[in-house]
This record gives sequence, structure tokens and C-alpha cells, in this order.
Amino acid sequence: MGTKKVSQKDFEKWVEKLIGLQKVFGVQSKDDKYEFGALLKAENLRLDYDITILPPKKYFLPSTEQLFSFGESGFNSSVDGEPFILFGVHPYDFVAIRQLDVLFSMKNNDVYYQTRRNAATIIVCDVENISENAFSGFLGFDHVEKGFDLLVTKTGSDYLVESGSDKGKKLLSLMENAVDAQAADISKRSEKWKKNRELLKKQLLKANVNELPAALGKAYDHKIWNEKAEKCFSCGSCNLVCPTCYCFDVQDDFGWDLKSGERTRSWDGCMIENFATVAGDHNFRKNKSDRYRHRYYRKGKYVPEKIGEIACVGCGRCISACVARIANPVEIFNAVAEA
Amino acid sequence: MSKPRVAIFDFACCEGCQLQIVNLEAEIVDLLSIIEPVQWREGMSDHSDDYDIAIIEGSITRPEDEERIRKIREKAKILVALGACATIGGVNKLKNHGPLEDMQKTVYSKDFSLPHLATMQTKSVADVVKVDVYIHGCPIDKKEFTYIIRCLGAGKTPNIPDYPVCVECKKAGNICRYEYNEICLGPVIRAGCGAKCPSNGFWCFGCRGFVDDPNVNAARDVMEKYGKTMKDLEEKLMLFNT
Ligand code: SF4
Ligand code: SF4
Ligand code: SF4
Ligand code: SF4
Ligand code: SF4
Repeated sequence: MGTKKVSQKDFEKWVEKLIGLQKVFGVQSKDDKYEFGALLKAENLRLDYDITILPPKKYFLPSTEQLFSFGESGFNSSVDGEPFILFGVHPYDFVAIRQLDVLFSMKNNDVYYQTRRNAATIIVCDVENISENAFSGFLGFDHVEKGFDLLVTKTGSDYLVESGSDKGKKLLSLMENAVDAQAADISKRSEKWKKNRELLKKQLLKANVNELPAALGKAYDHKIWNEKAEKCFSCGSCNLVCPTCYCFDVQDDFGWDLKSGERTRSWDGCMIENFATVAGDHNFRKNKSDRYRHRYYRKGKYVPEKIGEIACVGCGRCISACVARIANPVEIFNAVAEA
Repeated sequence: MSKPRVAIFDFACCEGCQLQIVNLEAEIVDLLSIIEPVQWREGMSDHSDDYDIAIIEGSITRPEDEERIRKIREKAKILVALGACATIGGVNKLKNHGPLEDMQKTVYSKDFSLPHLATMQTKSVADVVKVDVYIHGCPIDKKEFTYIIRCLGAGKTPNIPDYPVCVECKKAGNICRYEYNEICLGPVIRAGCGAKCPSNGFWCFGCRGFVDDPNVNAARDVMEKYGKTMKDLEEKLMLFNT
């Protein structure tokens, strides 16, 4: 839909304009790391980040959200559809959002997710700095060429901005002093994509991704599950930082009249001990190694069989988040592929 | 349904958890709409020994405490342990880390052997009698306290997390203390506080006690990986004797 080129200065002016227009959430620094948060000034935007602590999924599936309140007068659904701009999503995280789009519309359309998703304009940006455990380059999730509303790439001292939807086009039309990108600019971007594909290979994935579901299928009794699970705290960190994890737990709380109340849902994770506990206190994955194995089966077999794409985007967050240092999918995928 | 009759008792503690209840301020009225207090030294002068729910604050540190808590247990339909001193022994268990006599001398110097200062190894309430409901933390969290009371009022089992603090810490988007090479007890400590300490830049020191099935062996491994020793870990665990 057209790619524009703009100087750093005019780019910042445009960001400032967007902030005046809509609620904008963008990447900013948090101590020596980065996070998505409400963007109040263009100068706070850090498109040179390597990775954010939590993935941008939190804007569609908040860590805790009220589903509805209940009382004498019945149910009151609480869906929030205020439009917003999500600025600076890395390609691998965008792939994860696309996967959630599919999963949350598969059986029962999840109105909470979809309402927020439809309210969002997503601005993807190409990776400038490589995070220590990235491996999206092995999965083909190092860059994206479609699906976004806008795609921002830094080329030298300029920015290239491509629109991929009507929403994006509208925002792009607000940019001042933007010129049409030339073939030379576009090839600079292609160069960057090629380079990023190689750079985003910090963890050496040797397993063939297409054969992974079959390899996992054969590795049900592999000794690695037990070996690793013994060191696991069931702390769920690897689930909670993952852009493709989408499990949640539903809870009710009552008001002081003990009748009215609210139902909330909040992030859950298959590594957490009571995750698989169902009515009657029966936990069908009581065993640590069963839970441990389950996570990799989800990423490498079960979800891919549903959506046709590996459900790990290679962000590497789980690797850094696991205090026990046992949550590296690359290590597991390599091991089962070898077996 | 008549309101459950509630008695609050204190044992060895700083009474900080009762203070949290007093600090509920306006919500105390709501609280009183679903329970009927019949005995509470810090909050009322009336006194009845006919109660359904006994809320116990503090640890068991003297032989006569044991007797007293057993009697309370006999009368109460539901026994609630309030705060770390009651749930896990809390800071009072620090004294179990050395010979009792040394501790007595440190605290009471030459008077240490006087009979009214008799003491014993600290026990949590659950070390002595069966506890039905735990309200964790040092001090307790007001929101969690009122939630649990509402559940008791409605005859429901409260949902107390049995997962580590890391879960709430990650939801809060915190940077892990291990990234700064600090030891944090979060991976083995029960959540429910909203990861208060890591959210404010400190490691978790374990005031809510272990999760039901803590992986302490794994913690040993972790110390090695981060260039720490078991002694470093034990020092952190000591404060709450978790
Ligand atoms: S499994 Fe790990 S590397 Fe893969 S997407 Fe999730 S957090 Fe990222
Ligand atoms: S982050 Fe590590 S220790 Fe925690 S649940 Fe995941 S694998 Fe286990
Ligand atoms: S649990 Fe903590 S706050 Fe509560 S009484 Fe004991 S020491 Fe004080
Ligand atoms: S700071 Fe502590 S509680 Fe938070 S994730 Fe790290 S180990 Fe867990
Ligand atoms: S983070 Fe740890 S020490 Fe702090 S309040 Fe929570 S359980 Fe207690």
C-alpha cells in the first residue's frame, strides 16, 4: 500500500502527532531493560530496543481483567473498545499476535480479545538490536511483510514506513515531509531483513521445524523431560513471559452483600502446579515432568497441528526468565530431533 | 443465616496484623455486616467464649500457649491462622537457630531463668493444632483478608494461591532480581501478595512461607549457577524460617 521515507526529525513530529490523536502504547526503557507502556512523549519511544520484558500481548489479553460484574440486576459485561496505537512491535511478537488472532477466534470467538484487537492499530518495527537469546531467525519470524497496519524500518538516518491496512494508511497520511520510498530504499530494507535473519540466531536451532511435531510425537518417553523437570520450580515464568501462551484462570470475588461480585480472568500457565486441576481436585498433570513435557508439546506439536505454524516465535524470553535455566526450547527441540 | 461469631486471639507477635484489620477503617462496617465479633482484645471490651471462628495471631512460644491454643481449637468450628507468626512461625522462629539458653540470655540477660520468662522453641499455630484457613504474610494483606472473610461468610473455600511469587512478579512485568545477581526466594514462596517486594525493587524474603511443594533441591542448583552458595540461600531463608 505504499512505503514512505521520512527524516528522523519528521518521524518524531509524526509520533508526537499520533500521541495527540489516540492513546499510544510504545516501547520505553525500564532501568536497563525495556517495556511497553503508555507513551506520553515521542522522545521516550525506544525503537532501538532489543526485547521487552513482557510481550505486547498484554494489550489484548491483560494479566488480569474483569469479564463481568454480577448482582441483583443481572450481568454487566465489561469490554473495553477504546481505540489505541501499539507502537514498536517486533516482527516475532507480531507473528505471535497473529497466532493469537487465530486461536481466539477458532471455536468460541473471544469477545474480550477481539474487541481490543479490533481497537488496535499495530505499528511493527524491524529489529535494531539483538537480544541475547533470540532465535526467530531460524523460524522465519525475523521480519514480516504483511498483516501489520504499519511497518517502520530505520535505514541510516531515515525511517521507512509502509502501510499495510486502511488504518495504517490513515495514520501515515498525517506524516509531514514524507516522500515515496525509492527502489534503493526498499533494497536497503531487504538487506536489513537478510542481516537480521542471520543475527537473530543466538540460540542454535538444529532441529527441522517442519519435522518437529513428528519428532516430539516419538519423544514422549525421552529422558530429558524428567531430567529437566527435576530442576523446575513450577513457577510459570516461562509461560507468563511467552507471547504465544494464552491460558487463563477464571475467578469470582464477592461484594460485602455476598451476592453481587465480579468475575475476572488472569494469566495462568501449564507449568504451574494446579493448572490442570479440575473439579473434584483431580490434577491430571500432577507430575512435574508431565507438565514440563506438555509445554514443549504445546509449542512444537499440539498448536502447530491446529494452526499450521510452530507456536514458538523464537523471542527467547523464556530462556532468560527461567531462574533454573531449564526453559530453553531450542535445547529441547534439538534433543528430541536427534533422538 | 445468622452471622458467624468470631473471636480474635493474639500470641507472640507484634500485633501488626491486627493493626491491618484496624486499618480497614471504613470497611470495618462492611466486615461487621457479615460477622459478629465476640472477643477481640485490641478492638472491644466485651468477651464471650462462644464462637464459631477463631482467628489466631502470633506464634506459640511458651508451654502455656500450647494449652491455650488447644482449648481454642476445641471450641472453634473454623480456626484461622493470621499472619506469618501464626502460619509459619515467622520472625519468632529466629530464636530456633541457636541454643535456647543463649537466646534467653541475649534477650533477658541475668533474669533469663525466672519462671515467668520461661520459653521454648517457637512453633507456628499449625505445629500444634489443625489450622483450617491460612491468611499469609507479614503483615497480612488487607485485600486478601477481606476476601477470605467474605468467603467464610458465604461458606465458600477461599482460593489461596499455591504457586510461587514469580507468577505474580511476572504478571507485574518486573525485572527479575536474579538479573541483578541477587537471591530472591520467589521461586519457592507462595504468591498472593502481588509480588510486593520485587515490585518495589527488593528480593522476596519469604514472609508467606513455602508453596506446598517447594523445589528446594532446585534452589540448590540455582545457587551454583549464579555463583552463590547454600549458605547465601540459608541466610535469606532464615528470617522467616521458611
Ligand atoms: S516458547 Fe520461549 S522463545 Fe518461544 S515464543 Fe515462548 S517465550 Fe519466546
Ligand atoms: S520458568 Fe523454569 S522453573 Fe519456572 S516453570 Fe518454567 S521451566 Fe520451571
Ligand atoms: S505476622 Fe508479622 S506483622 Fe503480623 S504480627 Fe507477626 S510479625 Fe507482626
Ligand atoms: S524477582 Fe523473585 S519473584 Fe520475581 S521472578 Fe525473579 S525470582 Fe521470581
Ligand atoms: S514478595 Fe515475598 S516477602 Fe514480599 S510480601 Fe510477598 S511473600 Fe512476603
